[in-house]
Amino acid sequence: MKHVIFGATALTLLATGAMAQEVTLGRFFGDCEGAGTDTSASVGEACIIQSIINAADATLDGVSVNTLPTDWGNYYDQIKAAYAGGTPPAVHVMHRHRVPEFASIGALADLTDDLEAAGIDPSDWAPAALEAVSYNGRIIGVPMDFHANLWHVNTDLMEAAGLVEDGRPILPSSPEEMLEHARAVHEATGQDYLAADFAQFPIGVRVALALIWQQGANIFEGDEATIDTPEARNAISAITQLFDARLANPQLNYADSQQAFLNGEAAVLVNGTWVVDFYAAEAAKDDEGLNRYFVADFPTLFDEGATWADSHMWAIPAPLQANDADTYAAALQVLAFINDHNIDWARTGHMAVRTSVLNSEEYAALPHRDEYTGTAAIARDTPPSARYGAIQDVLNRELQAIWLTGKSVDAALADAQADVQDLLDR
Amino acid sequence: MPRQHASGFALTQRQAAVILLAPFLTVYAVFLVYPFFKGIWISLHDWNLMAVAFNPDAKTYVGLRNYERVMWGRNITWGALASPGFQIIGLIGVLASAFLYRTGRAGKVTALAMGIATLLLFVLPGFHPGEGGRWYDRRFWPTVGNTILFVGLAVPGVTITAMLLAAALDGETRAKAVLRTLFFLSQVLSVTVVTLIWQIMFSPRQGLIANLTQLFGGSPIVWLTAEGFAMAAIVIATIWWSLGIAMILFLAGIQDISKDLYEAGALDNATGAKAFWYITLPNLKRTITVVVVLQIILHFQVFGQSHLMTSGGPNDTTQVLVRYIYQTAFRDSELGRASAMAVFLFVIMGGFSILQFVLGREKDE
Repeated sequence: MKHVIFGATALTLLATGAMAQEVTLGRFFGDCEGAGTDTSASVGEACIIQSIINAADATLDGVSVNTLPTDWGNYYDQIKAAYAGGTPPAVHVMHRHRVPEFASIGALADLTDDLEAAGIDPSDWAPAALEAVSYNGRIIGVPMDFHANLWHVNTDLMEAAGLVEDGRPILPSSPEEMLEHARAVHEATGQDYLAADFAQFPIGVRVALALIWQQGANIFEGDEATIDTPEARNAISAITQLFDARLANPQLNYADSQQAFLNGEAAVLVNGTWVVDFYAAEAAKDDEGLNRYFVADFPTLFDEGATWADSHMWAIPAPLQANDADTYAAALQVLAFINDHNIDWARTGHMAVRTSVLNSEEYAALPHRDEYTGTAAIARDTPPSARYGAIQDVLNRELQAIWLTGKSVDAALADAQADVQDLLDR
Repeated sequence: MPRQHASGFALTQRQAAVILLAPFLTVYAVFLVYPFFKGIWISLHDWNLMAVAFNPDAKTYVGLRNYERVMWGRNITWGALASPGFQIIGLIGVLASAFLYRTGRAGKVTALAMGIATLLLFVLPGFHPGEGGRWYDRRFWPTVGNTILFVGLAVPGVTITAMLLAAALDGETRAKAVLRTLFFLSQVLSVTVVTLIWQIMFSPRQGLIANLTQLFGGSPIVWLTAEGFAMAAIVIATIWWSLGIAMILFLAGIQDISKDLYEAGALDNATGAKAFWYITLPNLKRTITVVVVLQIILHFQVFGQSHLMTSGGPNDTTQVLVRYIYQTAFRDSELGRASAMAVFLFVIMGGFSILQFVLGREKDE
């Protein structure tokens, strides 16, 4: 009997050991302890994605998913070092803006011919989503969302300043009107009109970029930097006029600006789609600070609508596809599972990529979803470039120099122009 | 030298030395010597981190071009007063070393080392872009300047604080032993923990410092994003973090000073501060040299504080050399260029190591 039990145990162990294919997974979004496997209950990016991953690990037969520890701020450095060292994770999340950098050297697996078999239907993806994961006509990833900058609004503060009509906040349609609104809010409530991370992460850059695009300009075209322009000056002065009039504080970083908004110290917070569910949950709490929360499309202050946008997507390293068929197949199963849970991910506030989800009642019923339906149409980003990260850093540094250190707009734009041109020339 | 009696499996001294040293030499060669020369080799190439990983032939030999692109520019000229601040200090330093040598207050080697260092301070800042010229890399030299400023603030900060603490905590009472442990504790923390603690301390919304400022009626300083305070903030965090080792070295130095000196001093009415100034300090000269040079070499490699607390900002005021190397290598994937900067950093630190060697030897003469 003892032998039978022993033998059976050994066999089971052997069988599970042989069958469970480990899929290593690299992602940002932050940590979530105890996310569980209930994909419909978690709140916030970190917990929602981890619950989906945990569910994949529990549900998929013979696949175990191991989330690698990564740090948000240095994510791409880590991933690139892992690629260079020959040990990239089997699947990893990335932004659309990084596709040129990775795909141009053949780092990403071409999934085009394997998606259908894995249960992923690319024809269900919105055209923009398909475009986001395509490189030279081939599909090199599975899209997960569109995300964009929104105006998160404290309706109580706006109402006190007489800036609410039919339950919706009135947003400015020109820089001059924005200044008027800001003064009205300050006079009525003593609070700031606008808050955003102008001091650390490139949210301020994204605001400035949106205002440049709204005038039909861009920061570079082809290999030519086009930063030192009247359009950039207009965009910057639209922002700095608020700082100069002390109606917004440029020194707040991400955490501080968010806290200011949640404390009811700013009528508007410029931040992405990724925090809608979190702010809605905070507003629902019965405490001081933010109570009536509204989400608005980024307003058009110049000629045409535009807001900064990007996409999260999942990719598989090309060497894995070439050298390890079993893990590759398991990795595809994980991507299919994430693709199937697009509606859960959309709960964060991100826009879904699958048309079947976009048209579903469940999606339309998500909190605040009807308030920013215009965002998809005005979503923009800078032209594709393998130097996206470095260019963003140049803009972030020079714009912050203007509002944090008093560097002249002329000098900052001239330096940014020269630095970005250097990057494009390399 | 008489040979040792050899019989059976007995080894000669030389053989034993080779065998005992072999493990260390192997590790040293594989993990330090080889990467060092590989780094120099990479710095002579146009080498993309990712592209070379996928295709080893994707690199091209460019000679010294990376060094030129990083350190040089178009129409660079030299002027005796191009950046007067540094150059005047350098000039004064050169004259002072000559004077000290002439009057016999400094040894030959010390005077020479000081003379060369200050001469470099006079010569190097004199280079600047002439009419219509520009540096190829606008950020490199300011980054070097920030690193030197950081070292210039952190090293005296650590040295003086650690020395005063060591003098105050030298003794056998239980309270002093507890305090010595407490002050050393910060040293064992990792840079991520240290920067996290100090980011909270410096936060204008919930930080201890902001709360204290407000208690006294002031408005809180936004340390990490204000141009005038960001560098000070990372220096303060660094001093707090790296006090421990320096304090232990000073404690060892102080305990080495003969008690007779203090007893003799006490007879001449030299106690407390006077005793510290006239007895402790002169006897700590050697320890001070060791601590200062070690700290200089350590702090030239500053990275985490700048990367995690200020991201090099605002306006690059806390951008330091290692962070620039890191960004160039991993964000921009330009391994060749980053290696050229790393070689430059090696030269600076090598210079200070030689200085320590020279100063250490002179004392023995």
